[in-house]
Amino acid sequence: MVVVGSGISGSIIANELSRAGKTVLILEAGPGTDSSLVEYEAFLTRFYDAAVKDNQSPYAPNPNAAMPRSSDAVRIWPGQPDSSTYLVRNGPLATDSTYTRVLGGTTLHWEGKTPRMMPDDFRTRSAYGVGLDWPLTYTELSPHYAQAERELGVSGDVETQTFGGITFEPGYVYPMRGLPLSYLDTVVAKGIDGTAVELAGERYELRVRPFPQARNGIPNPDYDDGRGFVPVGAVSTNQVEEGGRCQGNNNCVPLCPVQAKYNARKTLAKALQTGCVDILVQTVASKVILDPVTGRVSGIEVKAYEDPVSPRHTTWTMRGHVFVLAANAIENARLMLASGLGSSSGLMGRNLMDHAYLLSWGLLPEVAGTFRGTNCTGGISDLRTGAFRRQQAAFAVDIHNDGWAWAVGSPYSDLIQMVDQENLFGARLRNALQSRISSQLQLAFIIEVPPSESNRVTVDPAYTDQLGNMRPVISYTLPDYTMRGASYARQLARRVFQCLDAADHTSYDPEDSQYVTYEGQGYVIRGGNHLAGTHIMGTSPATSVVDDRQRSWDHKNLYLVGGGSMPTIGTSNITLTLAALCFRSARHIIQQLRADASLTLPPDAPSDAA
Amino acid sequence: MARREDVFISLSAGLTGYSPVRLIGTGMCDQYLAELGKVLSDGMVDEFLSAYARPPADGGCSVLKVLRDARWGPVARRVMILWYCGTWTALPESWHAVHGASSADTDHVVSAEAYQAGLQWVAAGAHPAGARQQGFGAWALAPEGV
Ligand SMILES: Cc1cc2nc3c(=O)[nH]c(=O)nc-3n(C[C@H](O)[C@H](O)[C@H](O)COP(=O)(O)OP(=O)(O)OC[C@H]3O[C@@H](n4cnc5c(N)ncnc54)[C@H](O)[C@@H]3O)c2cc1C
Ligand code: SF4
Repeated sequence: MVVVGSGISGSIIANELSRAGKTVLILEAGPGTDSSLVEYEAFLTRFYDAAVKDNQSPYAPNPNAAMPRSSDAVRIWPGQPDSSTYLVRNGPLATDSTYTRVLGGTTLHWEGKTPRMMPDDFRTRSAYGVGLDWPLTYTELSPHYAQAERELGVSGDVETQTFGGITFEPGYVYPMRGLPLSYLDTVVAKGIDGTAVELAGERYELRVRPFPQARNGIPNPDYDDGRGFVPVGAVSTNQVEEGGRCQGNNNCVPLCPVQAKYNARKTLAKALQTGCVDILVQTVASKVILDPVTGRVSGIEVKAYEDPVSPRHTTWTMRGHVFVLAANAIENARLMLASGLGSSSGLMGRNLMDHAYLLSWGLLPEVAGTFRGTNCTGGISDLRTGAFRRQQAAFAVDIHNDGWAWAVGSPYSDLIQMVDQENLFGARLRNALQSRISSQLQLAFIIEVPPSESNRVTVDPAYTDQLGNMRPVISYTLPDYTMRGASYARQLARRVFQCLDAADHTSYDPEDSQYVTYEGQGYVIRGGNHLAGTHIMGTSPATSVVDDRQRSWDHKNLYLVGGGSMPTIGTSNITLTLAALCFRSARHIIQQLRADASLTLPPDAPSDAA
Repeated sequence: MARREDVFISLSAGLTGYSPVRLIGTGMCDQYLAELGKVLSDGMVDEFLSAYARPPADGGCSVLKVLRDARWGPVARRVMILWYCGTWTALPESWHAVHGASSADTDHVVSAEAYQAGLQWVAAGAHPAGARQQGFGAWALAPEGV
C-alpha cells in the first residue's frame, strides 16, 4: 500500500491497514523526524518567537512543499490572478484558508472542534433542493463516527449533542466527558437562553450549547460498556507525562503546548509501532502513473529533496497494490490534475468548499473572563438545520474565548491602541486593559457553503513551484445562498448583543482582501480552513469522482480520501466526518484486498511496498 | 546611586501599573534590560534611566516627565508594551531621524518566556501570579473580582 500524506486521513488509513497486517509506505511532502517531542518543542519556540503569530508561524518556510498562509490573501482584481504566493488565487474571492505540509499535516494546528454532521446534511438536495445528496446516510456513517471519536479522543456529552436529528447508538457515551463551558459562555447563556427567533415560518429557541472537542478532559468511566477510556497525551520517542488533560492556556491554534489536543502524530505513532509502516519524509508525490492497459495505478512518481531551500532532488517511482491519496482536498486534486487525470466525470477539482466565517464583535457591560480556557467551548447550534435551508444557508455560532483575537488581533491591538493613541499608562492602562479585554465577546458564524462546480482547483503549467510541480490555482466565490445566511447572521449578532446589553464594535473594512458586498451591505468573510469537495463521492461515475468508499470510479486500485470526498459540509467542522470516512474506507480496502485476488503487481515492477 | 535594575523596575512599575514585586516575580527584568541595551546601546539606556531617576525640578511625577519627553517618551511606551506582551515594537522613524538609527530596532518577540510572561495575560485574569496556566476547567469559574 502506498499512502500519500501523513495527515489524519493518511494516518488513520495507514494505522488500520497495518493492524490488519498490510505493509504500508507513507509518502510525506513536508519535513519531520519521528514523532519526537524535541521537534514539537522546536515548533513551539518558533511560534513564541514569531512577532506575527498567524497560524503557520510555528513552521519554517519550505519552497519544496510550500503551504498557504492566511496573510498571503490579497485583494484580487478581475482578470488578474494573484500568483505571488504558493496558492494561485484566481478570485473573485481571495481565500485565506490554510493547511500545513509537515509530518502529521494540518491537525498540528487545528482547533479541534469535532461536531458530527446532521442527518439532513447528507441529503440537502432531496430535503431542501440545494446542493447534493450523499451516497451515504448519517445512520450508515454513525458507527464510523464512533470509531473516529475514539481515535481523536473526543470530550463531549451525548445529552447536549442530541439535537437537530443527531442520534447516537443506545447507551453510547463519548470517550471523555464534555469540557465545561467557559464563564464567558455562561454570561452569554444568561442573556440569550430561551430567546426565540422566527425564520421561514418556523420558531427556533436559542441556547448556548457546548461543542464536542478532540482534547483531553475527564475520561468517562461508562465508555466502551464500562471499560472506560485512557486519554493519549504527548507522543514522543521518550515517554513523557504531559497532555493528559487540557490546561486551558488558550493556544490551541496554532499549537497545543502540552499536546492535550489531538494531532495526527498520535495516530502515526501507533501505526509505526506495528512495524508494518514506513514513512518517507521530504518526498513529494508529483505524478500518478497509470497502467495504460488496465487503467489501474501502477505507481507514484515522487521528488525527494534533502534541503528544503534547495531545488535539488531525486525522482523515482513507488510501486504498490493499492494507492491512497490523502494529501487534503486541494493537494489531492492538484496531484491528479497535474497527472492529467481529470476524472471521466470532469469533476476533479470542482465543487471546492470551505465554511464561510463571519465575525461580529462587541463589548459586554461586565467583566466576563474572556481569554481564559480553550479557544472555544460553546456556541449556538439551533440554526444548523431547518426548513429555512430552502432559502438560505444554515450556520452555527462559536463564542470565542480568545476575545477579538481573530477579528482585530486582541489583546495586542488593544494594548497598542491604549499606549500609543490613548496615551494611557500605569494603573489606568492596567485597568483599561483588564476591563476591555476581559469583557470582549466575539461571535464567529460558521456558514454553510453548498457545492458549486465553478468553485474549483485547477493547474496551469505557467505556475510551478521550485521542484517543477504545478501549483494549485483556486477559483472561488460565495453563492447568494451563503450570503443570505451571512446577512441573516449579522442581524442575529445584533440581536444577541442587544440581549446582552453589549456594545457592537463590528466594522468591516472595505480595503480587506476578503471584503464582499451583498444587497448593498459589506461584509468581511474569512475562510474556514475546512477544505472539501474536490473529488466528491456519489452513486455514478458520471456525476462523481469516487464511490461511497472513496474509491476512484476510473482507477480501481486508487482511493482519494479526506474532505475532498464530501459532497456537502453542512455547518460542521469537517475533520471528524472525514476521519469517519477514512475508517469506513480502511475497512473496505482490507476486505477488498482479501477478496480481490486480481490485484497483482505488474510483473516487471520492483516492489517498494507490498 | 541605585542599581540600574532597581531604577528600571521602579520606572516600569510606574509605567505598567504593576508593583515592583509583581514585575520582579516575572523573572524578566534582566532580559528586558539587556534587550533595551541591544536596541539602544547600554550608554543610552543609562541616560534613559537617569532621566527618570533625576527628580523633576517642579516636584511633579517622574514617570510623566519621562513620558512627555520627546526623546524618552517613545522609548518608555515601547517598554510598557514589552512588559505587557513580551514583544519589542520598533520606534518610529521620526525618532531615529533625530536620535540615531539602530539595526536591532525591529518588531520582535524577545523570547518564548517573554511572550508567556506578558502582563496582558495577568490583566485578563488568565494567568494568576506564579502560575502559567490555571488548569483544567478553571475557565468555568468567575474571574477574580467578579
Ligand atoms: C487553523 C485551523 C483550524 C482548524 N480547526 C478545525 C476544527 O476545529 N475542527 C475541524 O474539524 N477541522 C479543523 N481544521 C481543519 C483540519 O485541520 C483538516 O480538516 C484536517 O487536518 C485535514 O486532514 P487531512 O489528513 O485530510 O489533510 P492534512 O492534514 O492537510 O494532511 C495532508 C498531508 O499530506 C501531505 N502532502 C500534501 N501534498 C503532498 C504531496 N504532493 N506528496 C506527499 N505528501 C503531500 C501534507 O504535507 C500533509 O502532511 C482546521 C484547520 C486549520 C488550518
Ligand atoms: S487550551 Fe491549551 S492545553 Fe487545552 S488543548 Fe488548547 S492549547 Fe492545549
